[in-house]
Amino acid sequence: MVTNEARVEIFDLPMCCPSGLCGPTIAPVLLDVNEMVLKLNGQGVAVERYLMARQPQAFLNNAEVYRLVREKQLAALPITTVNGRVIKVGAYPTLIEVQAALDGDGAGG
Amino acid sequence: MDTQFIFFSGKGGVGKTSMACATAVYHADQGRKTLIVTTDPASNLADVFEQSIGHKITPIKGLSDLWAMEIDPDQASAEYRDRALAPIRALFPAQVVQVMEEQLSGPCTTEVAAFDRFVDFLDTGGESQPFEVVIFDTAPTGHTLRLLELPVDWSRHIQEAAGGSGQTCLGPVATIQESKAKYDRAVALMRDPAHTTFVFVLQPEATPIKETERAIAELSKLGIETHRLIINGVIPPEEARNAFLGERIQMQGRYLSQIERELPLPAQRMPLLDAEIKGVERLRYVAGLLYGAEPRASGGGQGPHRISSAELLRCSPSSQRLALARPDEVVRRLVPANGHGRILFFAGKGGVGKTALSCVTAVWLARHGYRTLLLTTDPAAHIGDVLGEPVGDEVQPLNRVDNLWAAKIDPRVAAEAYKTRILDEARQQGRPPEALQAMAEELDSPCTEEMAAFDRFIDYASRDKYDVLVFDTAPTGHTMRLLELPVDWSQQLQVKLYASAELSQADAAAKARFGQVIDMMRDPQRSTFAFVTYPETTPIVEAWRAAQEPSSVGIPLGLVVANQVLPPEQCTTEYYCRRLLMQSGHLQDMGGRFQVPILAAPMLSHEVRGMDVLTELGELVYGNGRG
Repeated sequence: MVTNEARVEIFDLPMCCPSGLCGPTIAPVLLDVNEMVLKLNGQGVAVERYLMARQPQAFLNNAEVYRLVREKQLAALPITTVNGRVIKVGAYPTLIEVQAALDGDGAGG
Repeated sequence: MDTQFIFFSGKGGVGKTSMACATAVYHADQGRKTLIVTTDPASNLADVFEQSIGHKITPIKGLSDLWAMEIDPDQASAEYRDRALAPIRALFPAQVVQVMEEQLSGPCTTEVAAFDRFVDFLDTGGESQPFEVVIFDTAPTGHTLRLLELPVDWSRHIQEAAGGSGQTCLGPVATIQESKAKYDRAVALMRDPAHTTFVFVLQPEATPIKETERAIAELSKLGIETHRLIINGVIPPEEARNAFLGERIQMQGRYLSQIERELPLPAQRMPLLDAEIKGVERLRYVAGLLYGAEPRASGGGQGPHRISSAELLRCSPSSQRLALARPDEVVRRLVPANGHGRILFFAGKGGVGKTALSCVTAVWLARHGYRTLLLTTDPAAHIGDVLGEPVGDEVQPLNRVDNLWAAKIDPRVAAEAYKTRILDEARQQGRPPEALQAMAEELDSPCTEEMAAFDRFIDYASRDKYDVLVFDTAPTGHTMRLLELPVDWSQQLQVKLYASAELSQADAAAKARFGQVIDMMRDPQRSTFAFVTYPETTPIVEAWRAAQEPSSVGIPLGLVVANQVLPPEQCTTEYYCRRLLMQSGHLQDMGGRFQVPILAAPMLSHEVRGMDVLTELGELVYGNGRG
């Protein structure tokens, strides 16, 4: 079960805009991510996306995220967290992976 | 303090800066604290005031109440970038900071930052405005309109984004709420006739009239009403004793009546002077003509630049020809070489005749058997008027000349097409409607137009169908940004590659496509970058300065065209002679300044419009042979 408090955060790669749509080409993976976000929203899951150039504070707020960025630099990105816990580093997760993490959190809590 | 804002608008090269500066001197001489600001990326305030000014409020020497500032878009974006990067620099590793820096060097940042700085003068955020009069010597028409339209577009953009994804091209909504209020107040101020005056400067010629009408209509759409006209460059009536000028006076007379008919606004006329408008003294003299006594019928011999009879004796046709290139030298740089196609760029300040020169050149090339495509990226395109045939958004062959095709790239239309293409692709990939909706919103950004226009440019440049592509490019600052885009873009792509482990197929294709165009632009065998200018001080300095920009991205200057060169054989009067001598001096200056051939395009007693005149001028300028 997904609770109302479920919260997904994506710490993105450096991009011109959060969807990656304003660049000269549009990477299909970014469209997939966009769609995943919409699906999760549809299930009542809040998804936040952060760009380092615009919301650097977000990268500092989560200690594990900040540690990964300092250690691996850009190779760490994108990072995805579910309820503050890092679930994927260096690549975007699939919807199934996010849902599994959400379900895990639901079952555990 | 109740500040008056005066905007000077109009096509570049009509004397807008001179009129704005004379107005500034007039107000300062009345004891009002006056600031003149330019947002023109190719500013020449410093040339007119004969002192360095730059990206800061600078007192003007010799006047106790006048200050000036040139908003430098590059410096404004550097400041903006530094503000944005400060927190990142302190906390993140070097690699991350470097990528952020490159990210914030894009064209979008430049536009945003320059505009933001400009609005600062309109809206001091409650602090008292230290100036009684603020004069904006704005950029050429198309660019001005975009600047003025931005606040409206942006506030709408910000509002929509606040209801949607919460992200805009400008940054997260939360951080720009403050800016939105600022932009709204700026627009309200622009609409208030008690505080703001728009002065349109135009010359009595077809294109400037049309552009002024268009600009006034666009401003009305934004709820901004125009208040005044300055009709500049009116040849004094007594100069009709010279036959050539007599014909030009008749031509001007027709346009002066047209202006009275079609633009019934308060208007002042400014005579064409036979000396440069430079320096405070000369500006005072012009201010007197504008705001003081009735303008004298003749500008001849007025002001500090009198010419001695000894100088008049030097006024012979031979003195004109020294610095100029032979037609065959020039033609070599226009035609395809080594089996490659060629791209010709005509750059220069708006109004110097880029469109006329592009048309003359394209018609000449087509008539000499080269399959030629003529393109314009100027948002205020009037290429159809010059050709005497309508030119649309799609490539079409012209009726009256074989081998010649033409199209215009309207950034708005291009943006729509670009949006449709991207969305269609996504639809074909089976993306759900809500995802498409989100994409559509994201694509409604002010940056999309710039991107899309450039995308079209690359599309044409990559086609093999033509021997020569002639680009009638947009006014200088805009052109430069457009031309710098491919370099910026390939950098952005590299950032993307660097950041993500896998190179997607689409990225690889795009990278190859941009790379090809950049290589082409850098190769003098395949591209010729020509600057068009008038043989007058300010336009020459501007062209020279602007020509440094393509060089800085590895695109060499190929040719300089001096347009509207007075035919020496028509010289019969002192006034004509003074104008001719002014030009000769400037042509010499051009020869020394630019290390490329200088081509002279003569002024005609009639206008450059219609296929017959284009053909005639082409033969005059480039000769009959293939060279």
